Amino acid sequence: MRLGYVWAVFAKEWRDLLSNRLLLGAVAFPALVFAAIPTGLVAFIQARDLDPNQLGQIQQYIVNFPNIPAKLAAQAFIVTNFMAYFLLIPAMVPMAIATQSVIGEKVARSLEPQLATPLEVSELLAGKTLAAALPAVTATWMVFIGYGLVNGLIADQRLTRFVFSDVWITAMLTLVPLICLLSVLLGIVISSRVNDPRTAQQIGGFVVIPIIGIAVAQFFGGNATFNMQQVLIGDLMVAGLVGITLLIGSWAFDRESILTRLT
Amino acid sequence: MIVVEGLRKDFRTLTAVHDMSFTVGDGEIFGLLGPNGAGKTTTVRMLAGLISPTAGTATVNGHPLGEKTQQIRAFTGILTESPGLHEKLTARQNLAYYGRLYGMTGARLREAVERYLGVVEMSEHADRRVGGFSKGMRQKVAIARALLHEPEVIYLDEPTSGLDPSAAKTVRDFIATLRALGRSIVVCTHNLDEAERLCDRIGIMRGTLLQVDTPAGLRRHGRTATVRVELNGARGPESFVGRLAELPYVNGVQARENTLVVELTDPPHETPDLVAELVSAGARITSVVEDAQTLEEAYLSLVGEVGERDTDR
Repeated sequence: MRLGYVWAVFAKEWRDLLSNRLLLGAVAFPALVFAAIPTGLVAFIQARDLDPNQLGQIQQYIVNFPNIPAKLAAQAFIVTNFMAYFLLIPAMVPMAIATQSVIGEKVARSLEPQLATPLEVSELLAGKTLAAALPAVTATWMVFIGYGLVNGLIADQRLTRFVFSDVWITAMLTLVPLICLLSVLLGIVISSRVNDPRTAQQIGGFVVIPIIGIAVAQFFGGNATFNMQQVLIGDLMVAGLVGITLLIGSWAFDRESILTRLT
Repeated sequence: MIVVEGLRKDFRTLTAVHDMSFTVGDGEIFGLLGPNGAGKTTTVRMLAGLISPTAGTATVNGHPLGEKTQQIRAFTGILTESPGLHEKLTARQNLAYYGRLYGMTGARLREAVERYLGVVEMSEHADRRVGGFSKGMRQKVAIARALLHEPEVIYLDEPTSGLDPSAAKTVRDFIATLRALGRSIVVCTHNLDEAERLCDRIGIMRGTLLQVDTPAGLRRHGRTATVRVELNGARGPESFVGRLAELPYVNGVQARENTLVVELTDPPHETPDLVAELVSAGARITSVVEDAQTLEEAYLSLVGEVGERDTDR
């Protein structure tokens, strides 16, 4: 694979993306919402004296944060519990970009001229994957860093340490890029079968269900966040899915299939 | 130079192209004429290294098809049926992107982009997004894209589609200059007038090549080559019949009112001799016209013949 060609595709895709304000909004909006809701709750709790009777359902969960005041434990629970939803950003955003990119090319019939150049299909896909994944990874990391720092400033520095735990740093560095990759590849495979970006995103929307499922399950299971073992198992599972999707993708996206079915 | 021998392409149960054999020399424009679905695009895609043939062989500038397709694509320029530009990018950005894909960088890339924007008369629109361009403007940018890297072999699918007559002429003239530079050019078109004006040879195809010849040769297809010589003078045409019948290249002569209808084997080469012979015999010639069908008639006759054969089956 020649990096110069991957870079050329990436730069073109990036230019395309920057000119699409709606898509940029789709990148930024979920990231900000997922961070704003728990941060708002932390600020709300911080602004008031916490009545233990008001803790309600989360009372049983704050026992997971021993040796800290109940108010801070409640904030820690909220801060860490919502972090699972950060995994939705790499699941949703790259798929939106990838489907828009591939289907956009199908509609504009611009795949054939690109494949008529010395560009290899793998280089085309690598450039597209990078361009779709990078905004999501960047957005997730920025939100993660901002989330940890802002909550620490609003409430207590110990919240920052809960956010920047070894488990979550590992998850950010491994699970987030893997989920991004899976999302992009799924977007590309789905896009090879449909001609409308919205349909592709609706089909691809199923990819977020397991993540939401895990987030909800851990809440009801009494765990505020993942442990290292769960993150590593998650890495392995997503890596496996990436491998399977790559196999399907290489079949769906070989040069001849693209030209005879997609253009 | 392109050499094609027995090329075939099957898509599952459908045979798109079979038994294709032809050559395109350096500095030659070869036209592929055929109805929709005749296999023109499939043929070009195979030759451009985009899809692999099911059977047969071809070499493009000495590179065998199927083995060095990346190299073939590097010296090949292709104008696809649809311009296929990137709508959100400007004309200049589109060309620069493709230049990079052809391995061009720096000053060489910038100069090529400027030069070809000028060639297709799009310099003043260079920094506008192509999404707002008319069909003709897009076609011009697509033509510039196909030629940007100075390809040795060029495939042009409907090159003047969507262009106004003036722009179409500019493009045709430019294609002619590429021929003069020794490039091998294949033009796929439905435009018979354009094929006749532009192409050195034309292949009429429908799944396979039905006939390959010069435009003039195709016009004579299925007909006796005849020349009508109109005379004006005291001597009637019948007085020349005997003399002309003795000439070795004359296959038959008829006199009709003030006209001689002469059957020849190769009118372009034999007509000057025929005229010289008549003049030396004292004929006063007012016009000489080759009695040929139009290219359209020849095309319809060839394609129709196959259509009828297909229907009979």
